[in-house]
Amino acid sequence: MKSKFLDKERELTVKIVVGVADMKVSNDPESMIITYSLGSCIGISIYDSVARVGGLLHYMLPESSIDPVKAEKNPYMFADKGIPLLFKAAYQLGAKKQRVRIVVAGGAQILDQQGFFNIGKRNHMAMRKMFWKNNVMVNYEDVGGNVNRTMKLAVKDGQSWLKVSGKGEFEV
Amino acid sequence: MKDIKQIIKGIDKLNPIPQVANKVMALAEDPDSSMSQISEIISYDQALTANVLKACNSAYFGLPKKVDSVHQAIVYLGMDQVVDLVLLGSGASNFKTKQEGYDLDPGELWKYSVASAILARELAEKKGSEKTHMIFTASLLKDIGKVVLNQYVADSFEKIQFLVSKHGFTFREAEKAVIGIDHAELGGMVAKKWEFPSQMVTLIENHHLHEEPGRGDFENCIIYLADTLCMMMGIGVGSDGLAYRFHKEALDFLGLTQVDVQEIIAGFGEKLSQVEDLISIH
Repeated sequence: MKSKFLDKERELTVKIVVGVADMKVSNDPESMIITYSLGSCIGISIYDSVARVGGLLHYMLPESSIDPVKAEKNPYMFADKGIPLLFKAAYQLGAKKQRVRIVVAGGAQILDQQGFFNIGKRNHMAMRKMFWKNNVMVNYEDVGGNVNRTMKLAVKDGQSWLKVSGKGEFEV
Repeated sequence: MKDIKQIIKGIDKLNPIPQVANKVMALAEDPDSSMSQISEIISYDQALTANVLKACNSAYFGLPKKVDSVHQAIVYLGMDQVVDLVLLGSGASNFKTKQEGYDLDPGELWKYSVASAILARELAEKKGSEKTHMIFTASLLKDIGKVVLNQYVADSFEKIQFLVSKHGFTFREAEKAVIGIDHAELGGMVAKKWEFPSQMVTLIENHHLHEEPGRGDFENCIIYLADTLCMMMGIGVGSDGLAYRFHKEALDFLGLTQVDVQEIIAGFGEKLSQVEDLISIH
């Protein structure tokens, strides 16, 4: 799988890096959208193969009510603010809700991290709640555990990869 | 099990922390020392001075005016910040290489170390600690053992990973079980060799709080919490992932709730790009 990705990377020249608490969308077929090192954060990538539009969000926390001022400044930090903005940005480039393929990764936890302190799990729950309310289905998910994850999405055809600590890189 | 003595010998291959850093740290913790004493010691070391000034003038601090002397740096940023910059400048060389065993590219371990040191210092200040430099330094150097153990982790990675994924071991516990020594223990040995104060040796040794007494020790809990939060934020996390244990007692001891933890994450998340800017200097 890795070599396949490397071939792909050579072919695709524009690397769009999504930082922590950040979101990017693109319809440039030459680009690869990447987010590194998800930890307890969640990465959501969406891709519409008809419009050939891709987007990726990397959020840190479930709810913006924890700090409305920061949420105003950087809505991508929070699931409840960032997720709608990811979809809106992709729609603006022509993506349609019923066509998007969704990949989700991250939400890891420290061993024995129970209850409210389990922010990875809460990040995942916040997303699930929103998706359920809005009839959105996730196509592939690699969530939880004690691993670190990196996500990549090729805008040309929606091909996606995950790199998981201890497991290496694979296509999803 | 590997030959432990051989592994420990690897400590000698590290670049030792310059004496000036030890001196600056000792002076900074001494209530009778003066600003000019510290400024003088730093100024004797040209490379260190250049590094401190470069960091002062970086976007991280966003100073309105260019700083061109250590004395000026102390006036603008305060003594504490300048001391931290000295420590940053002194610690970098060992951490910047690629760590294959931990699947960390060049610079990633350093980024993780600096981020957790900055966060630890912030938490310590918030809680009114008087030992912020010790906390900062211990946090910065806590993973030095990884640099020594790296090759052995690479050689035994499958066995370590098996214990982590199938038997609920933490990565540190698995290192100990497979190799016979773990990165925290080795880190303590490095700190001893570098003649750090005994409290700092303990802090580095127990930064994962696996020894229970640490869970009731302020400095130890702060270093642990900063490390844990950085892992959760995915900063410089490698093949060991988040496979370390959560000790709620540490948060209880510090009087922090889950809301506080989220606020800390939100606050630090905002600063991450500035931290990266600071790291690129050293």
